[in-house]
Amino acid sequence: MLLETQDVSKAFGGFVALAEASLAVEAGEIVGLIGPNGAGKSTFFNCIAGDLAPSGGRIRFDGVDVTEEPPEARALRGIGRTFQVPATFEDMSILENVMVGAFLRHSQARDARTKAVEVLRLTGLEAQARQPARTLGTPGRKRLEIARVLATEPKLLLLDEALAGLTPAEIQSAIALVRKIHALGITIVIVEHIMEVILTLTARVLVFNQGRTIAQGRPQEVVSDPKVIEAYLGHQHGARGRRRR
Amino acid sequence: MSARWTPIALWAALLLFPIAVSTTDSAAFYQDVGANLILAAIAASAWNIVGGYAGQVSVGHAIFFGAGAYVPLVIYNLWPALPPLVGLPLGVVVAVLIAAGIGVPSFRLQGHYFSMATIAVAELVRLVVSNWDLLGAAIGIQGPATPRGWWDLIFRSSVPYYYIFLGVLALTLAITSGMERSRFGYYLRAIRAGERAARRLGVPVRRTQLKALMLSAAHTATAGSLYAFKLGFVNPESGLGILVSVQMIIVAALGGAGTLYGPLIGALILIPLQSATNTWFGGGGSGLTFILYGGIIVILARFEPGGLLELWRRLSARVARAA
Repeated sequence: MLLETQDVSKAFGGFVALAEASLAVEAGEIVGLIGPNGAGKSTFFNCIAGDLAPSGGRIRFDGVDVTEEPPEARALRGIGRTFQVPATFEDMSILENVMVGAFLRHSQARDARTKAVEVLRLTGLEAQARQPARTLGTPGRKRLEIARVLATEPKLLLLDEALAGLTPAEIQSAIALVRKIHALGITIVIVEHIMEVILTLTARVLVFNQGRTIAQGRPQEVVSDPKVIEAYLGHQHGARGRRRR
Repeated sequence: MSARWTPIALWAALLLFPIAVSTTDSAAFYQDVGANLILAAIAASAWNIVGGYAGQVSVGHAIFFGAGAYVPLVIYNLWPALPPLVGLPLGVVVAVLIAAGIGVPSFRLQGHYFSMATIAVAELVRLVVSNWDLLGAAIGIQGPATPRGWWDLIFRSSVPYYYIFLGVLALTLAITSGMERSRFGYYLRAIRAGERAARRLGVPVRRTQLKALMLSAAHTATAGSLYAFKLGFVNPESGLGILVSVQMIIVAALGGAGTLYGPLIGALILIPLQSATNTWFGGGGSGLTFILYGGIIVILARFEPGGLLELWRRLSARVARAA
């Protein structure tokens, strides 16, 4: 088991953002996390990646308990994550942005540059490598966000709405990119609102609502689960959905 | 092409400056201003490592400058047989230790809070030193009055100081330039651009910031020691006063904080300007210095936070586009 979370919870004061989330991911899987806004998906990611300390529960990665480790230590272990809103280093060039990631496993600038160029080629950004990162639009920033994390050579990649805000054509090429990354042997957990992405990419999804896991299984089955429909569309719509079937 | 030749032309001009002005009526004055200018450039370049590249605006660098200035003179006063020069490495060690002591707790503070904490610590140190008899208390402390050999680094002319300072500046900038291109330099820029994202990419933020502060402190202390060798005297105001810190910030910010040559460019403009106002308005010039600094802060903050190098880059890009 590459990633195993046991009853991971996070409360902000009295507000429970995440309650007892348990997830086990095998090496080589692509797992989807879905649920309405505020369901706790990003909080869960933050706990796995180390940006937030969970209020309860344990997180094991690659056989080691990493619950207490800071994010930089988890990055070194091979947990990579992208942010929902790309946190681009604006004043650095695109190549330099990716080199920051590559420096994690290559201490010499020359080796880090070689690695970064390789990743830029994979993500289709090599033509713009020398440009300042601030010149990039949304699709470019999303790609750069992924490229930087890939340069850290992760074993597990947590994609937090990496495809949100893209046009249908851009989504198709982003899906192709995620497939390429998966083909490199990187395990992927993906949070996404666009059902098309989840249905095409994942073999297994977890559905969150109000901080709890309300369903899990194959994506086609899960999306017709009345509980899931209710979570997304409200009680009446959920009931109607049930009647129609 | 021109980008490659500009630094060479600049260094050539700096090397020739004392010789070029030697035939003028006020040669000694110009050479002295030149030495002070290079010294200010060293201190501002040292500050630039943490204030510019790491983006942590310290207003307490006078502590490191003061450590560098005081230690050689204290050593001389305790053991007069020793030349003050042996105090330089000791001053550097003291400054680096202080940097470690300050850095660990204060990097938890962000932005303005970090700046305010550094002011507080620096003022505290100044007050303690002002009341410490071993360090000359409020009166200050003196070095050897007459040279006993070249190693006392006492020269009547400013020219030897000028060239010693220029050598140290070259060393400081060479180290900064090496840092810029290494993992350490990339990590500093990444932290400045976004600490959270940097940590997620595996950047050890606190350790990198602490390393920058210690490196910066070592170079600032060197500048302080050179100041003490040249002046032969330091007091709490000249070694540890807030103006010492503020001057480093203004010089670096005027030229361009976080750039290799920014501090030197800033010193080339500010120090002659400062000497001119001091000459025109006599000894009461220190109040005017504050007004000058204040004016520069307002103008930079309003019109060009990136400093003169950024302005130059923008203007030359515009010219290139028009052509």
